[in-house]
Parts: sequence; structure tokens; C-alpha cells
Amino acid sequence: MSVLRKRLFAVFLAITFLFCLFIGRFFYIQVVWEDELHSLALDQWTREIPVVAERGRIFDRNGELLAGNATAYSVYARANAVSDADRTARFLSAALGVSYDEIYAKLTDRTKSEITIVRGAEKSLVQKIEGANLNGVYYARDNERVYPYGNLACQTIGFTSFDKTGTTGVEGYYEKYLAGKNGEILFETDLVGVDLEDSTVRYIPATAGMDVRLTLDYRIQAIAEDAMARVMESSLAKAAQCIVLDPSNGEILAMVNLPSYDLNEIPRDDLSTLNALTRNSIVCDIYEPGSTFKIITAAADLEEWLRGNGAAFSDRYVFSSARTRTVDGTTIKCWSDHANGKHSNQTLAEALNNSCNPCFVDIALALGTETFYSYLKAFRFGSATGIDFAGESVGMLLPESTVRDCDLARIGFGQTIAVSPLQLACAVAAAVNGGNYYAPRLLSEVADSDGAVVLRTQPILAGKTVSEEASRLLSEMLEGVVRDGSGKKAYIEGYRVAGKTGTAQKYENGQIAQGKYVSSFVGYFPADAPRYLCLVVVDEPQGSYYGSTVAAPCAGEIFNGMIGLKKIQPFI
Amino acid sequence: MKALSSAERAGSPLRERARGKGDLLFLFSVLALAAYGTLCVYSASYYNAETLYGDGFFFFRKQLFGFAVGAVCMIAVSFLDYRKLKKSGLPALIVSLVLLALVFVPGLGKSNYGATRWIGFGSFTVQPSEIAKYGYVLFAAGYCAKNPARMRTFRGILPLLGDGLAVCLLIMLEPNMSVTMCVGALMIGMIFLGGASKKSLAAVCVPVLFAVPALIAAEPYRLDRLSAFLNPWASPQEEGYQLIQSLYALGNGNWFGTGLFRSRQKYRFLPFSESDFILSVIGEETGFFGVLALFLVIGFVVWRGFRIAGRCEDLYGYLLVAGITLSFAVQSALNALVVSGSIPPTGLPLPLISAGNTSLIVTMTGMGLVYGVSRHNERKKFIR
Repeated sequence: MSVLRKRLFAVFLAITFLFCLFIGRFFYIQVVWEDELHSLALDQWTREIPVVAERGRIFDRNGELLAGNATAYSVYARANAVSDADRTARFLSAALGVSYDEIYAKLTDRTKSEITIVRGAEKSLVQKIEGANLNGVYYARDNERVYPYGNLACQTIGFTSFDKTGTTGVEGYYEKYLAGKNGEILFETDLVGVDLEDSTVRYIPATAGMDVRLTLDYRIQAIAEDAMARVMESSLAKAAQCIVLDPSNGEILAMVNLPSYDLNEIPRDDLSTLNALTRNSIVCDIYEPGSTFKIITAAADLEEWLRGNGAAFSDRYVFSSARTRTVDGTTIKCWSDHANGKHSNQTLAEALNNSCNPCFVDIALALGTETFYSYLKAFRFGSATGIDFAGESVGMLLPESTVRDCDLARIGFGQTIAVSPLQLACAVAAAVNGGNYYAPRLLSEVADSDGAVVLRTQPILAGKTVSEEASRLLSEMLEGVVRDGSGKKAYIEGYRVAGKTGTAQKYENGQIAQGKYVSSFVGYFPADAPRYLCLVVVDEPQGSYYGSTVAAPCAGEIFNGMIGLKKIQPFI
Repeated sequence: MKALSSAERAGSPLRERARGKGDLLFLFSVLALAAYGTLCVYSASYYNAETLYGDGFFFFRKQLFGFAVGAVCMIAVSFLDYRKLKKSGLPALIVSLVLLALVFVPGLGKSNYGATRWIGFGSFTVQPSEIAKYGYVLFAAGYCAKNPARMRTFRGILPLLGDGLAVCLLIMLEPNMSVTMCVGALMIGMIFLGGASKKSLAAVCVPVLFAVPALIAAEPYRLDRLSAFLNPWASPQEEGYQLIQSLYALGNGNWFGTGLFRSRQKYRFLPFSESDFILSVIGEETGFFGVLALFLVIGFVVWRGFRIAGRCEDLYGYLLVAGITLSFAVQSALNALVVSGSIPPTGLPLPLISAGNTSLIVTMTGMGLVYGVSRHNERKKFIR
């Protein structure tokens, strides 16, 4: 073999080697890497039209619809698939009443792949468009949210954003159940979105969201809303809240926050108004509870006395009649002047009737910080109640290590502490229901779109507060408050209503704000086995501002309404 | 060398127009490749042509015309006694250089995609670099055959180097890196096959190894291209786009492909799907086995080409055939490497397959020369 033929052979070998090299590379791309490449490429081969999943509905405990959907449609066009822009634009402009030029401009804008022609169109319109058989025009169902009761429980139900994602209230908190899963209609297109001839259209159906049933009773809610609206009007208050719950299991029956707004006409343009109106103050805001808090102090004293704590006062103990107590060099006065024999020689029951501050100072100081704080913790002050609602406030409670005697004395009658209305309502419920702290609940059931229940909530016993005996004694005393004491205006003959009033001065920038009060009443019935507990909070009433005159009558109205509604027979 | 020189002597009686059937397998393989290419051009270009020109057969018709002209040229040239071309080397080189230079004459040169690679006379366009490759082969074969002994000195190969570099330089200015690489490889191949000494070869190859990184560093856009080919997803809309689309096509092909005419990527996703990246569409429609089969046929043509060269009885024919075959092989390999993302993407057609008349006609004519050599070197039983 000559040198040149050897060289020829060498070149051939080199080329064969090169060929083998890239054939190996092709093997790698086409056989090994194929899977990943294919899934990446799939994305660019199709254009999608959304199929919006029907959003789950929200019902009250009796199956009354609180949030539902109107059937509406969106009309889309894919400019690159429109074959006759002029005819299409003329037809759509006539059908929708939108200007021809505007639609024509949209249809001929090839820079966008999908454009929305109209949202919220009615079915008849969509059928008309479908009948016209326009190329490149599609429609898909929308979720247009409808709230049959408008303002009712608006802060609790909440609303969805523009793209129908739940943002506030139950709509936001239970988005995972309500949302469902959107589907798609996939079109096979070329690079710029022109449909391929005889391409397959793939339809991925949407999965409807699940229905949510709440513990709320819209009729009780309506009764409470009416009563609260009346008190707002008569007292010219700035705001008012009311929560009704079942002390035996923690189910929330009503939550009223006034002022309110119409869920069907949400003031989305004015952000500060929107934020103020949509806030569920019962859960998210705090206030100084004042005398209603004495229920907790009394509960702690009774439980300690029953347990044999020598420092605690018995139910027969007669408190000092003096109007003032001096603690850490500061003087604490009773709201009453104690003149002419008022607030003299009181037992605990009478102290509750009169809402006499010095007696509760004595209790708090006698129990001491450690013992008293252990009850505050058991009643979950300073921590979350565990409600299924976003943005819960834990209140303000001085840390145990920094609290002074003068602070402790004031906490005894509900000052130097801030709580959310929900915290107070739940704590009172846990004090009078036999001593069981149930976490408050809004969700009752979740059902899929076929109506099958997939989740049913149970009472959540979060802890014990006091013994049944202490609870029974306390409840008897609170029944007396409504029968004989400051809570008279909530009294209903034969229904064993119990409760406690509260009047607190408001603080602004650390100073007492003159003439600004929070008037409240927490009550429940029947006293021996509480089923309905109601907390009414009226913020800055004008004129009369006592809990006994503003809030207690309002709670009485609500109780009367519920008795009529439920046709509850008298207990005696 | 000595073996060949005796063959050269024996060559003269052949002048009396003695011709056999030649290497028919080679002939048919080339024709089959070109016909298959025309079919693939139809498949790859139909949708694009329909949307861009309103005529789905636009590229197909052009390619069919190129195939017909190419086939006629191929057969015609095979009747020609290749030894008559010996003296045409220098004129061919000069014509090539002039054509390459004409690209830069305003009005004549036609730009596309940021490079000036064509000269146009009305609707008729020619890509001079396609012609220049064969011009250089003709020149180099003639130069060596005239005085084989001078190939063994470094001074002897200088004219080959000088002219090769001139061609490279003009193509590089268009710019067209891949064809430059192709001609460079061809130049070294011709010197090697022409019998240059090992010292000369080293003197040529070592500087080239240094020149490549230097050339890449000199132009920033080449560096971009380089990084794009290493990770195309870093710039999926710019430098990386072409390669990503090619990989999608190949990936979609898998083992057996989506079926002829059923590429998804040809729907305007893959640019140059009928020309430089037609192999992506073939890979998608016929799968890995399709690509393997295609390159087995291409490899077969290369093997038959080298076989013809090896059996050739004169140095001129040997170099002519080896040069043409080498050019075909190198260009096919470079195209496959580009399409598979093994080297930075550059514009280079897959010979005989990609759309483009200059390339098709010139390649087929070159293949006609090779076939002609096989005909004129039939074992002349009647002479013995």
C-alpha cells in the first residue's frame, strides 16, 4: 500500500470517527434527553383558553345561600385565528354594543395571542355569537360572585379579587376548598398562534370548587344586625360590634360589624374606606374591656376558694366598703361615690351587681400575680382563640415578669389590658359553661360539588378553665346581675338571662380621651346551661354611655329576637 | 508515489474514450440522497412557503429544478475525461476568488440575516463560497499532479496554503465561519493527501490550533454564540433560540420519528427549517433511526468516493476525487454537529439535502466528476 493510500485510509477513519461522534450525540438528544425536551416543547405548541372552575358556594348553618355564582361568560378572541376581522368586528360590535373600531383594533393586533373582548356576558349573547360561527372567537364561563344578602355578615363572608381569588373573610380563609381547579382548552398552533389545519383541540375540564357551610345562622345574624343598627342610630356611635356564639361548643352564630358595606358593590376604588369597612373588628381589633372582665376575676376567685386557697374570698365574704384602695402609692377609686350607703357591705354577688371596682382590686391582689396570671392564660388572654379566620389579634397583656401590683389591681376590673371582642366572648363562655374552653369556629361542613360532605368540624376543646362548681356559682351571680343589678335592661322574664355590663374610657395616645367611651354588655341564657351568648360592644356612643343603658337593652332585643325565632319556651 | 506514477503512464491509452459503467452504486446513492432531500424540502418548507409566499410549493419547485439541473450536470460531466481538467485549476481558482470578491460589490452582493453571502442577477442568486470549495480542489489537485515531488518540501506547498488562506479570508469576511472552517479543513486535507511531509503538516496544523481561539476571542458575537451553544436556555429568545428549537425538533423525533410530513417544529418554530436546519426536521419526522439511516447512506457515498480515489490510476484523479469527497464529508459532519448543538450554530447547508440551488447543483456536478473518474478507471480488461 502506498503512502498516499494509507493517508486516504487515515482520512476515511477520521471521518468515520467524526460521524460516530455526532451520531452518539443524536442518540443522546433523541432517545435520552427526549422526555425533558418534549415537555418543554409542548408548552410552545399550544395556546390556551381558560375554562374557569365554578367557585364553591357559602351557606349558613341551615343551608341558606350566603355567596353564590351568577352564570356569566367571557368572550375571547385569538387574533391570529380570526379569518375575517371585518365581519367579526361588525358582528361583535352589534351584539355587544362596543364600538367597531375598538374591536377591530383588538382583532388585528397580532402582538397578543389571546384578547378578552368582554367579561360578564349573558348566556343568550354567547349563544348568539356561537351561532354566527366566527373563526377565532371563543367563550368561557366566568365566576361572577353574587351575595344574596348584600351587607349581611359582609366582613365575615369576605369577597374575591378581580380574578375571583378569595382575598378576605371566609372567601379568603377557605380559598383552598372554594377555589376549584381551572381547566383549559388547548389549541395546536404555529409560532404566532395560527391554528393548525386538522389539529386536535384538547379539552381539560375544570373541577368545581367545594361548598362551605358555616356555623352562622343568617336569621340570628339578621336579628343582631337590626338591633345593632338601631343602637348605632340612637346612640350616634362611631361603630358597633356584636358576636353571638354557642357556649356549649364554640360555634359562632352571628358576627356583626357596623358600619358595613354591600358585598355586591365593594368600594374597591377607595382603599382606606375599603380597609376600614372590610375589617372584622370582632376578631382583629382590641379594646379595654372594663367591667365585663370582672367575670373572669370572679371566676378565678371562686375557683381558688373552692380549691381551699386561704387568700381567696368565699361567696359569703363581705368586702370593705371604702371607695378607694391605695396600691404602690397610687389611689384607685370606684366609679361610684359610695355615698349614702351605696356599695356598702357587699358580697361577691353584690359586688358584681354593683360592678364595684375596689372589691375586684382586693381579689386580684389577694390571688397575687402568679395565680391570677395562670387564670388569664387558661382563659387565653394574650394568645389566639384559634378561630378559623385570618388576622386574629391576641390582645395586649402585660408580661408576667413586668407587671406591678398597681397594674395587677387594675387588670382585676378590666383596665390595663386589651382584648378582642372574640377573646372576651370566648373567655366568658368558658367561665360559665362548666369551665370548658372551646375554640370558636365558623366552618361547619365542606361538601363537594355533588353535595357529598367531605369534612364536618367537631367542637375543639382547647382546655379547662374552672371547675363546674365554680362555674355554676358564677353563673348564679351573673343571673343576679341581670335580675337585680346593672344588667336589668337585658332581663327577660322566664328565660334565666345572665350577664355583665361594661363601660370603659377610651385612651388616645396614652391619655384618657374625654367623653369617649366603649359601652358593652356580655350576656347569655339560660344561666344553668348556656346555649346563646351575646357580646355587644358600642364604640363612642353619644349622650348616655353606660353599658347598662346602651349595650344591655340591645342584647335584650337580640335575645328576644332569638327566642321568637327559635320558639324557645320559658324555662320556669 | 511510485505505484501511481506507473499508473499514470498506463493512463495514456485510456484517452481513446474507453468508458465503463463506473461505480453505479455511488451514482444511485447520490441521486437517491438528492431526491430524498427534495422530498424533505417539500415537507419542511410547505407551511412556511404557504404563509410567506402564498405558495406551498415555492421551495419545493426551486429544489426540484435544482435537482433536475444537478442530475443533468452530473451525468454530463461524467462523460468528460477528467484529465482534461488538469489545466483548469488556476482559472477555476481565479474565477472562485473573483466571485467571492464580487459579493462585496454593492448592488451585486446580497445580504441576508446579517451576512453577505450571495451575488444576485435579478431573481437568480449564487453562493460563491459553494463554488469556491471545488475551485480550490481543482486547483490543488492540478498543482500536485503537475510536480508531485515538490509537495515534500514546505516551500512546495506554500502556494496551496496561500491560496487556501485567501479563499478562507474572503469567506470569513462575508462572514461565514462554518464554510471557512470547511475550506480550512479541506486545505489541510488536500496537503495531507497530496503527500506533504510530517514536518510541513505540523507547521500548518499547530498555528491553526492557536488561530481558532484567537479568532473566537476577536469577535464578541462569536463568544456569545459559543456560550449560547453551551447553554441555549440562558438566552432562549436570542442567541439560544435557534438551537433550542432544533433540540425540540430532535427530541420530538425520539426513536422512530413523528412520521414523514408530520413535524411539529416546522410550523414556523424552527427557523431555516428547509435549509441549514433541515436535519432537525428529518430527525423529528424520521427519528433517531431516520438520522442513522441517512448518515449511513452519506457514509456509504463517502466510502465509495474514497474507494474510487484509491483505485484511481493517476495522482490527479486521486486528489480530485478525494478532495470532492472530503469536502462533502466534512460539510455533512459540520452540519450535523451544528444541528445537534455540538458546535456553535453557523449557516451551513447539509449537502444534497438542504434547500439551495447553488449548493445542490454544484455538489451534484462535483459528484458527477467523481463518478466520471470511476468510469474512466474501469478495470480495462480489453486493454490488458
